Amino acid sequence: MLSVKGIRLITVVTYWIAILLGPLVPWASLILTDVAVRHVPLAQTLHDFRAHLFAPGYNLFLIGILNTVPFLAFALLALFHLGMSPLEDSVRTRHRFAGIAGAGLAITAVSIWIHVTILLHPDAQGAIAYLFLPVVLLVLLPVGYVVGRLIGILLVQVNTA
Amino acid sequence: MRVLTKEQISLNLVGLAMCMALAAWWYWQSTGVQAVPALIEQLHDPDPSTRIVAADWLGDIGPKATAAVPSLLVLATKDSVQHANTTAAAALRHIDLAAARLVMAHYVPFLNVGDIQSRRTAGAVIGELGPVAKPAVPSLIALMHDPDELVRRNVLAALGNIGIPAGEVSNALFAGLRDPSALVRQAAATQLAFAVPLPRERVDEITAMLDQQDAAVSGLLRNALEKTRQGDAARVETFVLMIGQSTGREYALHQLARLGPTAIAAAPILITVLQDDRPMHRYLAVEALSAIGAGGGQTIVALTPLRHDPDPIVRESATDALAAIDSRSPALHNGARESPRVKP
Repeated sequence: MLSVKGIRLITVVTYWIAILLGPLVPWASLILTDVAVRHVPLAQTLHDFRAHLFAPGYNLFLIGILNTVPFLAFALLALFHLGMSPLEDSVRTRHRFAGIAGAGLAITAVSIWIHVTILLHPDAQGAIAYLFLPVVLLVLLPVGYVVGRLIGILLVQVNTA
Repeated sequence: MRVLTKEQISLNLVGLAMCMALAAWWYWQSTGVQAVPALIEQLHDPDPSTRIVAADWLGDIGPKATAAVPSLLVLATKDSVQHANTTAAAALRHIDLAAARLVMAHYVPFLNVGDIQSRRTAGAVIGELGPVAKPAVPSLIALMHDPDELVRRNVLAALGNIGIPAGEVSNALFAGLRDPSALVRQAAATQLAFAVPLPRERVDEITAMLDQQDAAVSGLLRNALEKTRQGDAARVETFVLMIGQSTGREYALHQLARLGPTAIAAAPILITVLQDDRPMHRYLAVEALSAIGAGGGQTIVALTPLRHDPDPIVRESATDALAAIDSRSPALHNGARESPRVKP
């Protein structure tokens, strides 16, 4: 059983990690793909990343911002939904936590998968995926939440039984 | 009691707002004219791709990146990587026409040197300067019988990019269609298909050529013929609309300069472009008006102040255009000079 301080910490950490994950997922995917798949030295990859961050035609900063939109929505959901959860109703708090975890895992996994796929199979139309990705993740957010919450309800029932 | 108090939630929201403000400030500091000092540093980077990206970016910033001109000149003329030379040249044409002409003047003598690679690079770089390299057209045409096919290909691509004077350029491209090398013929056909308007009097000649060329060249020539089906008036109308949009303005002006007298309907809007902030736009508007010919007294009245334009290339072009119009219809010119200045 988590203490009040623990739940509070999880809520705030989830909120800030979600904000950081927004730009970090595309940027880290790019750097790690270059290093692990294309065997580019890390120093060279970081140098290229810095040079292309705002460069027209690359716009890695803009890609990071686009990816941040659904993560920002998730961060606000975590802050308000988890933060406004009644402390006296621990079951409901756990259900909410499971829903938030489901939504977070779903959007992070799909975001990483799409970014890595674009990088591994570069295509002239790849930029279109960057535009649609925020929409896909925003749609996935409630789906992930519902799935996570259902799993949470089931786990609570199993534990109670 | 809730997990977080209202104050704690507000504090986290304020933190988010501060992060967003920081990201916006970072973006503002790293783009537009603010990015110029860092980009100038990157032009000296040991990594060629960094130099190329920086040069390309400076070209996008345009005339506000004037501080980068000396470094771009070095990159265009001294760098050992041809792609860096061509990218710097392309950037200079958007930043400073006079600097672009310096690059042209640097490379024209290399068109006649013994080293093949120097001739290839010279052709490629001059081509990237676009219409501002108009004075290099005779030197490029003289190189059309070079023994190296890559030199000939680069020369034809350069002529297509320069595009003016339209008559000389299209004659050279037609000659290129008869080159023994398929690579060179394809370069000529590509220019006619996508960049250089096909003169109507050449349509029959091209049609007759279709069966004699290989499939790739024939496909490109069919594309060029397809373009002629749209009437000149409709094309001019399209370009006039494009001038109204900042993104397509340079392309539309260049196309009108290539069309020549058939673009007479565009003269009124070209006159308004003579007041444009970008020297390249003013230069192309002057070239287009010059190619159209005497568009009336209003054209001469509008061109006359450009003899004192802050940009020396625009000044030179305006002076040449006025002289050309004068030689075609001196009475009109004299009449217009005496008339009071009207705002276009």
